[in-house]
Amino acid sequence: MNHVITEKEKLQAPAGQQVSFESGNEMAAKAAAQINYHIMGYFPITPSTEIAQYLDQMKARGEHDIKLIPADGEHGSAGICYGAAVSGARVFNATSANGFLFMLEELPVQSGTRFPMVLNLVTRAVSGPLDIRGDHSDLYFALNTGWVILTASTPQAVYDLNIMALKVAEHHDVRLPVIVAFDGFFTSHQKRKVLSFKNREVVSEFIGERPTDFPNAVDKENPVTIGAHMNGDDLIHNNYQQSEAIYRAEKVFEEIQEAYEKLSGRAYPTIETYEMEDAEAAVFLINSAAETAKDVVDRYRKQGKKVGVISPNMIRPFPKEAVKQALKHVKAVLVGERADSYGAKGANMTLEIKAALQEMPGQQPVVLSRVYGVGGKDFYEQDAEVFFNEALEAAETPVAAKPFDYYGVHAGDSKKRLLPIIEPQHSGSYDSGLIKVTHDEVTGKLKVKVPPLRQLMNKPKRIASGHGACPGCGIFPGLELFFKGIEGDVVVLFQTGCGYVVSAAYPHSSHKQTFIHNLFQNGAATLSGTVEAFYEMKRRGEVEVGDDFTFVMVTGDGGMDIGMGSAIGTSLRNHGMIIVEYDNEGYMNTGSQMSYSTPIGHMTSTSNIGKAQKGKAFHHKDTPQIMAATNIPYVFTGTEAYPQDLIKKAAKAQWYAKHEGLVYGKLLITCPLNWKSEERYGQTIIKAAVDSCFFPLYEVEKGKTAITYNPEAKNKREPVSEWLKYLGKTKHLLKPENEAIYLEFEEEVEKRWNRLKAKHECEYL
Amino acid sequence: MSILPTTNELGFFEIRLESIGGLGANLAGKMLAEAGVLGHGLNGSNFSSYGSEKKGTPVKAFIRFCEPEVEIRAHSPIEEPHVIGVFHEALYKTVDVVNGLQADGIVLVNSERDMEAVREELELDHGTLAVVDAMSIAVEENTRINTAMLGALYRVLRFLDVDKMRDVIRETFGKKYPHIVDANIRTFNRGYEEVSFKSYEVPEGAEQKPFERQPSRLGYETQEIGGIISAQANSIAKDLSGSRQGFLPAFEQEKCINCTHCDTVCPDFCFVWEEREDKRGRKQMVLQGIDYQYCKGCLKCVEVCPTSALTEIRETIGYSDEHRVKQTFPYVEGVVK
Repeated sequence: MNHVITEKEKLQAPAGQQVSFESGNEMAAKAAAQINYHIMGYFPITPSTEIAQYLDQMKARGEHDIKLIPADGEHGSAGICYGAAVSGARVFNATSANGFLFMLEELPVQSGTRFPMVLNLVTRAVSGPLDIRGDHSDLYFALNTGWVILTASTPQAVYDLNIMALKVAEHHDVRLPVIVAFDGFFTSHQKRKVLSFKNREVVSEFIGERPTDFPNAVDKENPVTIGAHMNGDDLIHNNYQQSEAIYRAEKVFEEIQEAYEKLSGRAYPTIETYEMEDAEAAVFLINSAAETAKDVVDRYRKQGKKVGVISPNMIRPFPKEAVKQALKHVKAVLVGERADSYGAKGANMTLEIKAALQEMPGQQPVVLSRVYGVGGKDFYEQDAEVFFNEALEAAETPVAAKPFDYYGVHAGDSKKRLLPIIEPQHSGSYDSGLIKVTHDEVTGKLKVKVPPLRQLMNKPKRIASGHGACPGCGIFPGLELFFKGIEGDVVVLFQTGCGYVVSAAYPHSSHKQTFIHNLFQNGAATLSGTVEAFYEMKRRGEVEVGDDFTFVMVTGDGGMDIGMGSAIGTSLRNHGMIIVEYDNEGYMNTGSQMSYSTPIGHMTSTSNIGKAQKGKAFHHKDTPQIMAATNIPYVFTGTEAYPQDLIKKAAKAQWYAKHEGLVYGKLLITCPLNWKSEERYGQTIIKAAVDSCFFPLYEVEKGKTAITYNPEAKNKREPVSEWLKYLGKTKHLLKPENEAIYLEFEEEVEKRWNRLKAKHECEYL
Repeated sequence: MSILPTTNELGFFEIRLESIGGLGANLAGKMLAEAGVLGHGLNGSNFSSYGSEKKGTPVKAFIRFCEPEVEIRAHSPIEEPHVIGVFHEALYKTVDVVNGLQADGIVLVNSERDMEAVREELELDHGTLAVVDAMSIAVEENTRINTAMLGALYRVLRFLDVDKMRDVIRETFGKKYPHIVDANIRTFNRGYEEVSFKSYEVPEGAEQKPFERQPSRLGYETQEIGGIISAQANSIAKDLSGSRQGFLPAFEQEKCINCTHCDTVCPDFCFVWEEREDKRGRKQMVLQGIDYQYCKGCLKCVEVCPTSALTEIRETIGYSDEHRVKQTFPYVEGVVK
């Protein structure tokens, strides 16, 4: 429920409340901190990521005790949450869109085995095509998970419903997990004047003690089996219990919200009605758009038009009776939906409202269904006017001229079609003929000849200018140097990440040859399918004999976290392709959250610095070594600071991908924005990372390790502080009070370097 | 008693900040809104344009103010503002910054140019124009331009209390970066002191700047199914010069030894090479210059240049157009370059 907080109300609010100016994400974090959950297992995804970030900031300042666990992906985060919930702990999570879909299979497990928790779903369009902005396509996937779903249309509602959600979830009659859903960006990122309880004790008292009268996994006196499998004879009873429980949640919510209203002064009926008493035409909208529609109602009412708005605070269970009640006297209702249920002639809310209405005696209202505002497409007052006008017209007739339609589409102007700007770039364009790789049958080694860089300035870039990367971004210089060593045609696949987002923003592409995107837990598997399909079609003579490609999968270090399983599986199958990782030590595309490749002590938006926390808690992942352990033919590291070294490795990579199987390479690159370094020092910084042996240049060729540049041998070895001094994100590590963390980092670097040298010396290691 | 000078139909006094990512317009909007809401007891909302765009790309920040009893239900971007703050003049190339400005509206521009030149460019016939050289202030104080812009904005807005903004600045920076609080207060004060502004008479019936809600370029009949793009590399048509924040590399060919270091580190592929014959008649690649259309001014090239062929200069208007060496792409016949 939207509520303006007047000065008068501030004084009247029953429990001590304070005014602040905050967004939906900030209010979700505030509620979680005041509840002081035991565990939050999370994985960053726009636009919900900020919730974990705010909680991490508060944690660094010592403002709550929630154990924040950065998972390896949303599937992992849901696992962490489930594991914590079965232990009887209070558990919290937040996600959006594809993150939600990735954890989807865990959700019915959580509800079906009856372990409460609270998940904030900051709603956003589900891919593909990928769109980071808000709609309800993710929310509609939640409808069949067995979770209670509350919908919050304002930052104030986000706070209030989060507090109530846990109490509903833990209620003896419910025992189900609860989703609090609010609009990505519109509600998650817009700052509003909001009220919250000054003392967290008020919140603790309201939610009560953690219930301990249910079985849990860490009670040695009462050991239990959780998750036995069933047959239908038993499953139907489990489902029936669950069904009964979710229906009970409606009444439980009503009771809890009544108590909360007494405490806070704010009411949240399951179905909120605005000017509905005598309305003839109504518009039903979920969340923020309903607020916009209310402004139009005010204006139309002044003109004597009988219109009103219905918006839910709860959609699971679907408050059928309240909906029927609200629509009792209405002649026509337009259901606006920020997602489609393709092929159903109306998305989910339309169908459920229609189902409720057909139980009504007598003349039923006309129902119009409109899909609108997907992917964050703005919903203006003028759009709401169109909805009311259509509903008014249907009320008059009273038939639905067009029961189902999309709103906000246009045919387009054929003169404005996208036309090719450059001629297709292939084959000859990328054959410099200057790079030679030969296989010595006797030694089994590759001989690589690479010309001076100047001669390669003739070879066109694979990636086009005009991409939207930040000034000084290290991704494209790194990738282009790599591609300089690759001759002939390529097919590239970028997993989700900065490199993808800035080079393929519709209707623009910065790729000269074929480019594919797929979600980043799956890029390696996807490209392996492309590789095998190409060779199979070639084998059947369906592809021209002369055609040949080098298949390259490009990922960030984030993609190698969530996509590690896929990358390892693909490596074990040993497809003829290359995986290149650009490592900037964090999830930079979503706002610099820590990745497993972030070194210890480094500051990111989820590893903040404060009195209670000093940056990332554990060491950086050694991805090349993990990949080498899959026994693929070739693994390498490279950087823009040593161009010849990288080009040579690229040439080898291409040979191995075409002759022996999978190649993995890691490029360390700077992210000036999030490393908080000066853009101009990009190469200097990377050079220091290499010369300090934090990022050694080496290769593992058919199991044998060779250091390709040894700073010690060249008398160039520097302490890691020489690298860290350039970075704002590690400024604190060079201060005396953090010496212990610095030394731990230095020791780890030294240990890994020494191990590498030993491998270099001994081919059996 | 209202302190808001004027409001629209819904009761809002609306401010839009036009900027590029990295100049701090988002934070400026947040601080301004906080000062109004928490400092003056107004109701308000604040948000930015959203997207996956990175540093250096156009962004907008929005602030709505209204009386405490007015409810804010609108979530949509501000299209017909009372006040517009322009953080970067290079935006004119790609963004119609004064789109929808009210007839008696205020425009504040970060510029080193004189007021008449700015007025002419923006075609402002009435209302108030304010100009402040926020970039110079920020360079001198080693801060970002956002607090200078706020100082200037406070001077022309008049209804907000400068001390309340100083409190917000102290609190905002004090939490995480206490060492830059004083510099930001100085930057704010200098913006307030150094802004020049002039009001032009608003004649009877003067019209606001027209605003247009641009439909997307493609529709369901012209968009390829599945979101596929068949116009590869069409991003070369984009102009990224607006990403630069006041500096760019200058190239002197006589001093260049064609070592390729600059090309190796350039994130935006701005260096233009051509095949030439050297003194002995051998064909060699020779660096011709920089395509400033794509240069974002990161200056990595200047840093790695072993001679003084590449140097850092403060960008002046017209320099990049005059010295640009165009990349040669294999354009499809008939495409306008």
